[in-house]
Amino acid sequence: MSNPLLEIEDLIFRIAMGDRAAFRTLYGRTSAKLFGVCLRVLNDRAQAEEALQEAYAKIWTRAGQYRANGYSPMTWLITLARNTAVDKRRARDAGVGRRTAPIDAAELVADPAPGPAQQAEARGEAQALQLCLGGLPPERAEMVRRAYLDGATYAELADATGTKLNTVRTWLRRSLMQLRECLSR
Amino acid sequence: MTGAADTDLPGGWEAAAAEYVLGLLSGDELADFERRLAQDPDLQQDVAAWQEYFATLAAPVHEVAAPPRVLRRIEAQLFGGARRSLLGRVMPYMLGAVTAAAIAWAVNFSGLLGDDEPDLWADLETPARGLVLLAHYAPSSQTFMVRRDAGEYPEGRSLEIWMIPQEGAAPVSIGLVAEEGLTEIPVSDAIAEALPGAGIAISDEPEGGSPTGQATGPVISVGQLAPREE
Repeated sequence: MSNPLLEIEDLIFRIAMGDRAAFRTLYGRTSAKLFGVCLRVLNDRAQAEEALQEAYAKIWTRAGQYRANGYSPMTWLITLARNTAVDKRRARDAGVGRRTAPIDAAELVADPAPGPAQQAEARGEAQALQLCLGGLPPERAEMVRRAYLDGATYAELADATGTKLNTVRTWLRRSLMQLRECLSR
Repeated sequence: MTGAADTDLPGGWEAAAAEYVLGLLSGDELADFERRLAQDPDLQQDVAAWQEYFATLAAPVHEVAAPPRVLRRIEAQLFGGARRSLLGRVMPYMLGAVTAAAIAWAVNFSGLLGDDEPDLWADLETPARGLVLLAHYAPSSQTFMVRRDAGEYPEGRSLEIWMIPQEGAAPVSIGLVAEEGLTEIPVSDAIAEALPGAGIAISDEPEGGSPTGQATGPVISVGQLAPREE
């Protein structure tokens, strides 16, 4: 098997069969990426380590249900890790009124071109999303990224843009519909 | 009306699907959305599509090697710290088999297993190979069946069917998928007892099946057995 995604899928299937060696191999292949994702959300090493541990425990117990949602293998892994980290972040920040860095349209630059490694990795979905995000005003595209990669809430996005919560939500939902239309072309 | 599809907000349920994937819904809105999601296949497709698209946002996130203690903690949490002896590893499965057999006997004897046990099904697809298999277990005849709906049987190889019991016990071979026609395998009482809720996996093995009693070739598909409305 030379296709890395098929290899990862095979590992997930083996994990569903209780194969511990396959679990260790999958951890070796994917944990650096998932740790990066957890760190990005939580911005705290000890908490990111805990989130990573929780995420791999879920991978072990839920591998049998991997096919149920029809996700590609990396999407399934990234979604599990990201959601675990976001839940942790929300629990940590509940009531603390965490401040987020302001989103300033003037400071946002166009996305840098992906490097060769990322280009090789990029599938159709990645390119389509980048293209369609590029069609949004830069501060709205940044809101989408922060919501996904930082797990930012509407309250935090409102704070970061100096706007009212309902306004931010209306903006974001319009932008999401615009994205959807662009992506379905 | 209020909630995720609030008419004051643009986008309706379609925008809510993206908000859901971003984790921006909470409370009643989240509950409303999940109720609707459970019964709306279009919405499920939207959610799956957004998951695929948004996961690509993680592409530029740098990989960071996690310290070795994390894997140690995970393995300790999942598998227990100490390495058990071979007998220690085998015994629980044997006890499990004996218990299952005892329960099966007791249940049969007391007539609790009536004819109203539902048939179970599992979709086993392997997009990479184009194989589409449907597994079907009929409790009334205690027969496990597999139908091949599409794809080629691998030449010079055998497709082996495995039951993955619910409680993390070792997979058990059910038999081989027939090269032609419908596969029909009568199963033992112990397997019959464990099948409801079990996972089913298909592995690619040397001709005649795995020589070791465990999957040796690639596991090409895993599915969950569940009743199905017909």
